[in-house]
Amino acid sequence: MDYIIRAANVEDCKDLTRMIMELAEHEKVTDHVKITQKDLEQDGFSKNPFFHGIIAEVPEQHRSKEGHTKIGYALYFYSYSTWKGRAVYMVDLYVMPEFRGKGIGKALMSEVAQLGLAAGCTKLNFIVLNGNKSSLDFYFRQGCSDVTADLGYHYMSCSGEALECLAQP
Amino acid sequence: MDYTIRAANVEDCKDLTRMIMELAEYDKVSDEMTITEKDLEQDGFSKNPFFHGIIAEVPEQHRTKEGHTKIGYALYHYSYSTLGRRSVFMMELYVMPEFRGKGIGKALMSKVAQLALAAGCTVLNFIVLDWHKSSLDFYFKQGCINATTDLGYHCMICSGEDFEHLAQP
Repeated sequence: MDYIIRAANVEDCKDLTRMIMELAEHEKVTDHVKITQKDLEQDGFSKNPFFHGIIAEVPEQHRSKEGHTKIGYALYFYSYSTWKGRAVYMVDLYVMPEFRGKGIGKALMSEVAQLGLAAGCTKLNFIVLNGNKSSLDFYFRQGCSDVTADLGYHYMSCSGEALECLAQP
Repeated sequence: MDYTIRAANVEDCKDLTRMIMELAEYDKVSDEMTITEKDLEQDGFSKNPFFHGIIAEVPEQHRTKEGHTKIGYALYHYSYSTLGRRSVFMMELYVMPEFRGKGIGKALMSKVAQLALAAGCTVLNFIVLDWHKSSLDFYFKQGCINATTDLGYHCMICSGEDFEHLAQP
């Protein structure tokens, strides 16, 4: 199947929002996803963006049942490691179910890695939910390793009232 | 004990490199460290920095045996999540052993939280190694949660040759 992988632009935010919600449903976290199209426009496409995006798009003749041609995405930002230097962090990777098994997910992830390499990064980091076996298998096939299982990395979070309390001098 | 918490500047890179190596020895990963003082200057203090730093400094009369007055640091960068939107990722937090137990670690983390809130972030994230029991206890006391044990978050990585291979189209 023909498809293209390209940089996301502000006009993609409507489809990005749609697909973010689809991914949230799949991960059963829709209650926690409060992001809006306007948030994405502001956070990803203003002067100092918090993230960058890439889109997978198919030609009109392959559009989805609902008429969508934008059928996958990845969001990423640049991060850092004091061991190895510049790194790229992949926030989300998603391909609509009817377009899976065609190499599009791999192509999106590969593009994130290419962009990272071009920026001088030496590694890619991301999170996977432990119960997501098919995703874990996909990532292992791409040469990724699970540093939580292998090295004991635990991901910690401080938010809401706890963050505000912590910020008190 | 008197101390100040302030933004790091390029002149701090020598002490930052020193303390990063001290933390790497404690984490038993000093063999894997490839970063240099020049890397930190370039990556943290140029036009588009990959990270930001804060330093804990004591007056001359409290300097260490080796004569250091810069005795702690935190490094962080802005990040993103489609769950929580704008976030801050605290890459490292370190206080030299002889200055622990005086609230300096908490003050550094509090400063990162303040900067996060000021930038419109709603979450502070970081990694802890699962065998760092005293660190985990400290973070729980600050109201942090462990998203690995509680929500199944697994940290994934693709680096070195695997990363370069992934970037091949």
